[in-house]
Amino acid sequence: MEEKLFTISQAAEYIGVSLNTLRRWDESGKLIAIKKGGGTHRYYREKDLEIFTSDLMKFASEWIQDSVEFPGIFYCPTSSIFNARLVKMQNTLMQKPGFEKLYSLIVLIAGEIGDNSFAHNLGKWPDTPGIFFGYDLDKNIIVLADRGLGVLETLRRVRPKLSNHVAAVEVAFTEFISGRAPEKRGNGLKTVREVVIEYPIDLFFTSGDAEVRIKNPDKVFRVTRGQRIVRGCLAKIEF
Amino acid sequence: MKLQLEKFGKTLISRELGSEALKAFQPTLRELSKDEELEIDFSGVLTLSPSWADEFLSPLLDQLGDRLILLASDNLSVHATIKILCEVNKRSFNIKT
Repeated sequence: MEEKLFTISQAAEYIGVSLNTLRRWDESGKLIAIKKGGGTHRYYREKDLEIFTSDLMKFASEWIQDSVEFPGIFYCPTSSIFNARLVKMQNTLMQKPGFEKLYSLIVLIAGEIGDNSFAHNLGKWPDTPGIFFGYDLDKNIIVLADRGLGVLETLRRVRPKLSNHVAAVEVAFTEFISGRAPEKRGNGLKTVREVVIEYPIDLFFTSGDAEVRIKNPDKVFRVTRGQRIVRGCLAKIEF
Repeated sequence: MKLQLEKFGKTLISRELGSEALKAFQPTLRELSKDEELEIDFSGVLTLSPSWADEFLSPLLDQLGDRLILLASDNLSVHATIKILCEVNKRSFNIKT
C-alpha cells in the first residue's frame, strides 16, 4: 500500500508553521521534503513529521538559547491557551493505565511551572511572549520553556542581594518568596519539589546556569551550576 | 452552606483564575450567616493547584477560620495542595472525613 503523503499545506497545518518556514527548512536540510518524479511540489511522510516533532528538548533548548523557530503546535502565547492545552493533556493522561491517580500531580507540576512563566513575565517579556509546552505521553515526558527574565532577575526585585542563578533557584524551590511581593505568592515551586521527591516523577529545571535534577533513585533536591547559561526557564518532567 | 468547587472548573490551575473565582463567589459568601459553616466539596475536581487554591482557599481561611470545612478527597493534587497551604498559612484546615 502506498504511504500517504502530506502536501506542504497539510504538513504546515500538522506541525503549526508557515509554508515559508517549511520551504526554508527544506532548503537548509532541517526538514527535507519529498519531490515526486522530479517535480517541484513538496510532500511529507506522516512518519517523518512525527519523528521531526518528537525531539521536544531540542526544540525548547534551541528556542530559549538561540530563538530558533519551533513547530507552532508547541507554542502557547497566552495563559488561556496554555490552560486549554493542559486540560487536553490531562484528559488523555488520566485514561493512561497506571496514571489514574497520579495524573493530577503531573498536571499540577506542569501547571505550576507554566503558570509561573506567565505570572512572572507579565508585561515584562524581553522579546517573545509565551511559552513552549510540548508533551509526549507515549514517552512520558513534558517539556516547558520560556524566554522570560529567568528566576534570578525575577527574585532580585525582592531579594536584591541574590548574587547568582544557583542561589536564586535554590530560594525559588525552598522558600515562600515571590518576585511579585508584596503579593502573597511563591508556593508553586515548593510544591513541585515536594511532589517530585515523594512520587515517581523526575524533574530537570534550569534557569541561567543553575540546574536542578531530582531523579530516581536518590531523589535529592540539589541545585548545581551547569556549563551553559540559558535564557528564561526550561523544565523537563519525566514519569 | 456547601460549595461544589467543580462549579469553577475541573482543572483549577492559575492564580489569575483562582482570584477571579473568589471574586465571583463573594455575593454567595455574603449569604452565609454569622455562625454558618462553609463546606468545600472537591468531588469532580480533576486537578487543584496551590496557586489557584492560595487565591481562593487561603483568603476564605483568613475570613472564616474554623467555619471553613474542607470535605475529604482522595485526589492527590488536592492532598498536595492542602498540605502546602497549611505551611503557607501556618495553620491547618478543618477537614471533615
